[in-house]
Amino acid sequence: MIELREVTHRYGGRVVLALDRFTLPPGGSVAIVGPNGSGKSTLLRLLALLETPSTGAVWIDGAPAPRGRHLAAARRRVTLVEQRPVLFRGTVRENLGFGLRARGMNRADVNGIVETMAERLALSALLERRRGELSDGEVQRVAVARALAVRPDVLLLDEPVSSADRAAAATLYRALEAERAERGLAICLASHQLEDAYRWSGDIRALADGRLSPVTPENLFRVELPPGDGTKTVRVGGVEVVVSTDRSGPAILAVPPTDIFLSRAPLASSARNVFAGRVTRLAQQRPGLVQVTADVGVELIAVVTADAARELALSPGGAVVFAFKASAVRVF
Amino acid sequence: MDFLADGLRRAAALVASGDAEVRGIALLTLKIALVATVVACGLGIPLGFALAARPFWGRRAALALANTALAIPSVVVGLVLYAALSRRGPLGGLGWLYTWQAIAIGDILLALPIAVALSAAAVQGVDPRVRRTAQTLGAGRWRTGWTVAREARFALAAVITAAFGHVVAEIGSAMIVGGNIRGATRTLTTAVELTASQGDFGLALALGAVLLALALIVNVALQVLQGKGTG
Repeated sequence: MIELREVTHRYGGRVVLALDRFTLPPGGSVAIVGPNGSGKSTLLRLLALLETPSTGAVWIDGAPAPRGRHLAAARRRVTLVEQRPVLFRGTVRENLGFGLRARGMNRADVNGIVETMAERLALSALLERRRGELSDGEVQRVAVARALAVRPDVLLLDEPVSSADRAAAATLYRALEAERAERGLAICLASHQLEDAYRWSGDIRALADGRLSPVTPENLFRVELPPGDGTKTVRVGGVEVVVSTDRSGPAILAVPPTDIFLSRAPLASSARNVFAGRVTRLAQQRPGLVQVTADVGVELIAVVTADAARELALSPGGAVVFAFKASAVRVF
Repeated sequence: MDFLADGLRRAAALVASGDAEVRGIALLTLKIALVATVVACGLGIPLGFALAARPFWGRRAALALANTALAIPSVVVGLVLYAALSRRGPLGGLGWLYTWQAIAIGDILLALPIAVALSAAAVQGVDPRVRRTAQTLGAGRWRTGWTVAREARFALAAVITAAFGHVVAEIGSAMIVGGNIRGATRTLTTAVELTASQGDFGLALALGAVLLALALIVNVALQVLQGKGTG
């Protein structure tokens, strides 16, 4: 298990990350989402032991991560693939074998593992190419294969499919699944795309301004709340949202996707917020769950079971009604 | 302009005739420059690496010192070295004053700051992701350093070229600690200075042209070496 405890990290005096606790369990699968500049890459570099937090500590298996001479050994358990990975001078084959040679492995064993990894990530045809002869997506795949080749306990991936096309992304995710099925590999993936995050993990943690956000980042709206207590109505995009809060002034509204009810026509219910619109996108979030995006005057995302989606015959372009209670809207 | 053309003609004739004295001066110049470059870069490049690799207390001061040392006049180095190597100096026992070794030491002292400062700049110019990637893949300190060096190879080759260029053209220190002794410590630059002061501009130009040719040959050789293998 790898963990950050009471960590703050500064660059030039500016706090870029402040986390009380961030835990990645053994064999776990975590996705970190957040906009660019939210601290995702910094978090991954701290977890990879490539930077030392300004305050607090990284813990591995219940003990503070070692420093000095023993740091390199600890680093070998955690491998990071950066957002825009670099390949070293040389061929793809040499790159895939880099970490293995660093571990003193003999040439025959290195070649065996390199061939396996290349096959798993559809890189066999590229083995003798040099970095200048690869596309960005291929570079990303080589970097992931190079990281998997050293069989780390923890793999950290920073936007691993940002340059990949759909087929390449599918290959990459398949390879990661195969690796996880084979052994207890923990994976922590950072992405600014929710779809990526949901595709990879049910354990999604949202990062905003270097801090963990209390909710996932769908359906977040910046609003100006009127003064007064109790139920208020605020305009969000093209709709009026009823919200129950005592707060006033600038605030963020969050509507959890799992708290939204879907129907084909408006139903008599206690929900104060009922919006009719059209489905714009359907995506499988995890097995058994479907993420429904609809334009109801503003873009809202709901999560329903696959059975519910089937029974409602939801399809892109089809009519849908989104409903949620005023008390379901979180304000922070 | 006539003496320019005359100088070039005489340079060609000197090289073609295989003049023993000129050949001896050129070979001595080459020997001193190569020894000084190898020693200065052998010490200076790892030092530059160490300065650039990671932050430590006093690093800025060390880099500032190396950069300042780039501007030390060669005659000052020559004077200090003369004092050190003279009979009553701390290194007087070596008996190296007015030998090619003394010239080489002066050249090393002059080329060392070049090697340190420029190699530090070369390493700092390498994408920081290279170091991080090597580390996250399990490379230890030496393998990480080697990986970074491979990425900075063009800039490091330029460091060697700059150091060689500096020492091969050096005259101030060579004159003071070498003495420009015919057949012993006369280098191409001191020979040029001597012949020019004697009014033989044609010969001075001819020797200068030989010096340029020497520098050109070494630089081309370095370029061929660094051009092997790309990507």
